[in-house]
Amino acid sequence: MRSGRAPGACLALLAATAAAQPPDRGAAIRGHVDVRLEIRSLQRRPDVGALGMPGERGTPNRAQTVVYFETAPQAAFGEPPPGRVQMDQRRETFEPYALPVMVGTSVAFPNSDPVFHNVFSLSSPKRFDLGRYAAGQSKSVRFDRPGIVRVFCDIHSHMSAYILVFAHRFFAATDESGRYSIEGVPPGRYTLVAWTDGKERARRSVEVSDAASAVQVDFVIE
Amino acid sequence: MSARRFRWSAAAWLALAPLLPAAAPAEEWRLGDLGLVAAGEVDGATAIGDDGHFNDSDYFRSELSRLRLRLTTAVFLGSRVALLGELRSDDLAAPSVYALYLRVRPWEERSLHVQAGMIPPVFGAFARRTYASDNPLIGLPLAYQYLTSVSAQGVAESADDLGRSRGWGSRPRLEIRARDSLSGLPLVDALRWDTGVQLTLGSRPLQLAAAVTRGSPSHPVVRDDNDGRQLAARLAIQPGPGFVVGLSAARGAYLSRDVRALLPEPAAGREFRQSALGVDLELSRGYWLFRAEGIWSAWETPVVAAPEIDSPLEARAVSVEGRYRFVPGMYAAVRFDRLVFDRVQGSGRWFTWDAPVSRLEAGVGLSLRRNLVVKASYQHNWRDPPVYGYSGAPVRSDGIVATQLSFWF
Repeated sequence: MRSGRAPGACLALLAATAAAQPPDRGAAIRGHVDVRLEIRSLQRRPDVGALGMPGERGTPNRAQTVVYFETAPQAAFGEPPPGRVQMDQRRETFEPYALPVMVGTSVAFPNSDPVFHNVFSLSSPKRFDLGRYAAGQSKSVRFDRPGIVRVFCDIHSHMSAYILVFAHRFFAATDESGRYSIEGVPPGRYTLVAWTDGKERARRSVEVSDAASAVQVDFVIE
Repeated sequence: MSARRFRWSAAAWLALAPLLPAAAPAEEWRLGDLGLVAAGEVDGATAIGDDGHFNDSDYFRSELSRLRLRLTTAVFLGSRVALLGELRSDDLAAPSVYALYLRVRPWEERSLHVQAGMIPPVFGAFARRTYASDNPLIGLPLAYQYLTSVSAQGVAESADDLGRSRGWGSRPRLEIRARDSLSGLPLVDALRWDTGVQLTLGSRPLQLAAAVTRGSPSHPVVRDDNDGRQLAARLAIQPGPGFVVGLSAARGAYLSRDVRALLPEPAAGREFRQSALGVDLELSRGYWLFRAEGIWSAWETPVVAAPEIDSPLEARAVSVEGRYRFVPGMYAAVRFDRLVFDRVQGSGRWFTWDAPVSRLEAGVGLSLRRNLVVKASYQHNWRDPPVYGYSGAPVRSDGIVATQLSFWF
């Protein structure tokens, strides 16, 4: 899956989707994502004398996976976004590494480091540049178009993260143990996509029946 | 622009063109258990103008018309030792090693690094951001690039002889010379690395770097050419985020033994050193970035014949630079430079030993991708007039339009 395109593709398939259910009803799709592939870290901008001298910095969880519906129930597109979520900048690392949000969500980028950061993106769904700001300060961006937004820091070129903007609410990011849960899924047949570190890595079909309260779908990504 | 330069510039753009669609998000390249990390940059610049050789950084090599490939590698030998190097090729010539050094961090818990080999420069601020992606404009500050009429391979016989080379730093016409074609020296050479040992202590809010090397700020060397040693140090103070003040000092021998061998005694037997002091400042906030740097340099020079040169030859440079990012991925930048020289007394007149120069450069940069930047700038240079009576005056004023494409990976 290429930056800026995939989550928006589900819009074209609206007609084939199942009937809507309120988000507090329906079944849950839960599972575990086992990421076995080797993920390379982001290249830093060449810097005289600094290559190979990392400072005190965190390690992003690049294996973090976003699991989402390729197509979603029609009424899901009219649901209001959850408001504000946050992508922290701590120890020269964006946390979380992959952040799925709904269209219309504002993402805050607090700076929790003692140095300046400068969050920016050149991705077509949302180009922005928040400028340089200090510890304790935060700036926000509202994401109004579905797509994948790659986020960087202009000062620390090793920092990067992804924001996946969906037109529906049927998505979840894995936790540190690789588990995910998508709640309130109405009965129907869906295609689940597992996305890791910039690419669609696997897809599975799943059927949620009227009687089911939870369906288990696991992924192994190699 | 000469036909040769134009050819290389065209080659630069052609060489870069195939890279454009393939400019994928750069990812760290590690090779097996060796922990080899590689990074690099290709940048091609082309310019119209510069008949006055204001941007030459070596004998007839312009910083505004060239293709440069830099490949930096680091091999990690455990968690505390790394071997680092840089290969560079200018204008598709055979690549040369510009850096090769061992970095040791004796204690994990302490911010202390020891580096030995061809090491990064200690003096000043600009020398550590010479990659095109770190330079908001295309040209370099005068102090780090403009060639004065002081040379490591030649010496003026008298003040009059020095006066004849005013403004001819790319090809000084000095009487005493160890080779036919000479190049002058900048105050600080940002493009070559020196050989020696460096110690870096601390990070924020104070960082001290000190080095013992073979060359001098204006004449870094791989092979020692004068048996001299350079001591250099820089203290960086960071009172708060986005605010850095640096203080630098260096002293080292610059004149090669081949030239000294041509001098009469006692000059032939002594060392001729360059001393330099620098102060730099960086301020940033929001979409603004502001940098300023001042450098004083003095070169000891032998007294050979009358009218005698009043040694040392002093020069001062100041550079002020600002950048503003006005939309995502696009910025405007401007830099002003001034380089001045002390006066010496020639036959019946006083004059500055080199022609003072001013430079104003303004430009824009556009990030087509995170690692692909195209820049365009206009640079104007002014040089003071020649000393009366000396023929062959260099071009005094030049307006130059330049473009650059840089891609880092």
